Amino acid sequence: MSSHYEAPIRRPLIDGDKSYHDITVEVAAPVEGKANKLWWTAFAIALTAFLWGLGSIIYTIGTGIGVWGLNKTVGWAWDITNFVWWVGIGHAGTLISAVLLLFRQKWRMGINRSAEAMTIFSVVQAGLFPVIHMGRVWNAHFVLPIPNQFGTLWTNFNSPLLWDVFAISTYLSVSLVFWWTGLLPDFAMLRDRAVKPFQKKIYSLLSFGWSGRAKDWQRFEEVSLVLAGLATPLVLSVHTIVSFDFATSVIPGWHTTIFPPYFVAGAVFSGFAMVNTLLIIMRKVSNLEAYITLQHIELMNIVIMITGSIVGCAYITELFIAWYSGVEYEQYAFLNRATGPYWWAYLLMMSCNVFSPQFMWSKKLRQSITFSFIISIVVNVGMWFERFVIIVTSLHRDYLPSSWTMFSPTFVDIGIYVGTIGFFFVLFLLYARTFPVIAQAEVKSILKSSGENYKKLRDRNHE
Amino acid sequence: MKSILKITIALGFIMTLTSCWTDKSKRNYQYMPDMYKSVGYETYSQNPNFANGMTTQLPAEGSIARGQVPYDYPNTNEGYEDAKLNSKNPLEVNEENLANGKKMYDIYCISCHGQNGAGDGVLVQRDKFLGVPNYKDREITEGSIYHVIMYGRNMMGSHASQLTAKERWEVTMYVEQLRTELLK
Repeated sequence: MSSHYEAPIRRPLIDGDKSYHDITVEVAAPVEGKANKLWWTAFAIALTAFLWGLGSIIYTIGTGIGVWGLNKTVGWAWDITNFVWWVGIGHAGTLISAVLLLFRQKWRMGINRSAEAMTIFSVVQAGLFPVIHMGRVWNAHFVLPIPNQFGTLWTNFNSPLLWDVFAISTYLSVSLVFWWTGLLPDFAMLRDRAVKPFQKKIYSLLSFGWSGRAKDWQRFEEVSLVLAGLATPLVLSVHTIVSFDFATSVIPGWHTTIFPPYFVAGAVFSGFAMVNTLLIIMRKVSNLEAYITLQHIELMNIVIMITGSIVGCAYITELFIAWYSGVEYEQYAFLNRATGPYWWAYLLMMSCNVFSPQFMWSKKLRQSITFSFIISIVVNVGMWFERFVIIVTSLHRDYLPSSWTMFSPTFVDIGIYVGTIGFFFVLFLLYARTFPVIAQAEVKSILKSSGENYKKLRDRNHE
Repeated sequence: MKSILKITIALGFIMTLTSCWTDKSKRNYQYMPDMYKSVGYETYSQNPNFANGMTTQLPAEGSIARGQVPYDYPNTNEGYEDAKLNSKNPLEVNEENLANGKKMYDIYCISCHGQNGAGDGVLVQRDKFLGVPNYKDREITEGSIYHVIMYGRNMMGSHASQLTAKERWEVTMYVEQLRTELLK
């Protein structure tokens, strides 16, 4: 240990007197054990919500978009709000696994697996909305530039909605590959520990014959780094493209150059909040408090605080530019947000997104798990309202006062949203019982540098 | 895994091939025919709202459509004689009218009356039916030619539904020219 230098200021990332074997056992425990009553209850609730949402989706497609609360002025509301919200949530996973990898943040190792799972599952939810909000879902394949019998009729590559197709599908596939390559050594661990033939077979298939040789590890590291390098611009561009859906329009309140970075910041903000929500529960129910420590939660809170401040900055910039522009439409758009019929949504968005993360400046509050949990939910409520406010308040009152109207959702709008939340948790709960929720191979690589016991040993040697 | 891939490829290949052997006597399968069938009644489509089941209904007796001039000579021998004497071609005799008259003649008249109006059309040559007169053998005027195209005469049916009034006069003009040629 004497050859290793680590600043004594750094706190341990793995609590307790853990050995490699302890990590294996504790990560494998939720997979190898049986689901308890709590899990089944949660699963049943999520499944019910999912089925309800599925029914709402089938009803929409079977009957028509008219069952939603949309009207001729407000053609996008809950559908695209939820789409952007879910895509935003998905961004934290890639940020944790890719950006933090590039910055060599060791604390990402305890949380990256679940964050990536959250990415995959929330992008799946997001991917539903562009499809189901179509008037003719069955012609959705026409968004793809496939040679066809219509004289090779092609798509127009000028629409950000088409870029969305490419962005989301690329994002999902790259995230999936990145996640899965990371899972190989962990699946191999589960395969080697499995005693039942069925489990053995399943994890043998999932682990692709990983044998953990030096050459394999060397290439594994390179692939991870390359994918992290690719995923980082991807994560920035995907939500940028999503923001282009609005920013490239001519609607006052939408046509803004600030949207791309501001949406990305908002995505990281809401994504980290979601990771916090999930991990605070997961560390408790899966007994992983030693790996997802208070420090992890605190660091995520700091990210939430920073991105929340960026978002707050963006809000103020928007307001300033609206005033500074001298464009009456732009000025009215913001006046309408603050004092119009949706003032309560704007107020909710402002209070949840701008004020709540500022509590994290207090060490006492950001180190409180209960407070973090509450704030993480508040942030996601706020971020949902941010998308709602941007979309609906800009649409319902724009250039022609004769086309001013209101929007209110129907039970189908709400049902589909609840359904995606249910579907997300169905997937996440299944994941939590079948996948190694902590990247044990990576955590083992920091055990001797950041494990509590090794740190203590090192400190004693120095004295 | 390899065998699954092979089976998938084989199935895909078979499915592609079977699409070549659909029942040609029936309309092919359609994918989501959203706006394939007309909601409105198309001109010659069936119509359940009328007793005769047709969308095309006859106009009211005696009504005159805009741009149409009714033909006043009755479909009788007296009407024929009257038209022969009094009905006059309103069109100017020029190249354009004659050219279009020839075009219409070559479509609607040539199979019986023949290219030159000598009553030697292809149907007469093949003995499908006989008794088509030569234009030079009959005393015909522009009024009588038009009247016959309008109503038909003896074996000949009316051609009023095929040709517009202007086209009928153009054909009349062309038939007169053919007759002049034959009489030479």
